[in-house]
Amino acid sequence: MAKDNYGIALGMIETRGLVPAVEAADAMTKAAEVHLVGREFVGGGYVTVLVRGETGAVNAAVRAGADACERVGDGLVAAHIIARPHNEVEGVIDETGKAASRS
Amino acid sequence: MANDNYGIALGMIETRGLVPAIEAADAMTKAAEVRMIGREFVGGGYVTVLVRGETGAVNAAVRAGADACERVGDGLVAAHIIARPHKEVEPVLPTGKTA
Repeated sequence: MAKDNYGIALGMIETRGLVPAVEAADAMTKAAEVHLVGREFVGGGYVTVLVRGETGAVNAAVRAGADACERVGDGLVAAHIIARPHNEVEGVIDETGKAASRS
Repeated sequence: MANDNYGIALGMIETRGLVPAIEAADAMTKAAEVRMIGREFVGGGYVTVLVRGETGAVNAAVRAGADACERVGDGLVAAHIIARPHKEVEPVLPTGKTA
């Protein structure tokens, strides 16, 4: 899905706990034109949120998100951007998106 | 959903273990006019409870909840308020029907 008419870049933020993840998601979507495509409970208390959009927008969003969630709870584990995920990876990302919209 | 005629502000409290989470939920709903919209087992023993309501009510509730659960079990991990969550964030929040 996430490749229709908004950008294809992928941004990911992983946190320890749900609260910093929600804070990061909020900061990311407010900072730039990105779409939240998923939220994944990884296990062990780790939560990952994924956004997609133009590379520049995703970059700005991930920076803002990482900054915002660092001060909340147990905070940030990882923040990462992939400008153009390989086709083979898209399936994995779509699955994550579907899992998030189900829950 | 959560923005019909009660407020839209979001309050979250994350604890280590279920007991402080329940204590926080109880303190929050007693302290101010807020609605419990969910309880999430994050994994690793983390439990998050989420409330919604007017910003002031949510603020008061989260402060009361954080205070109450600090003394219970392994206690508080995070307490946070978002006054107006972006609409992109709404789908990842619990709807309140399962809580």
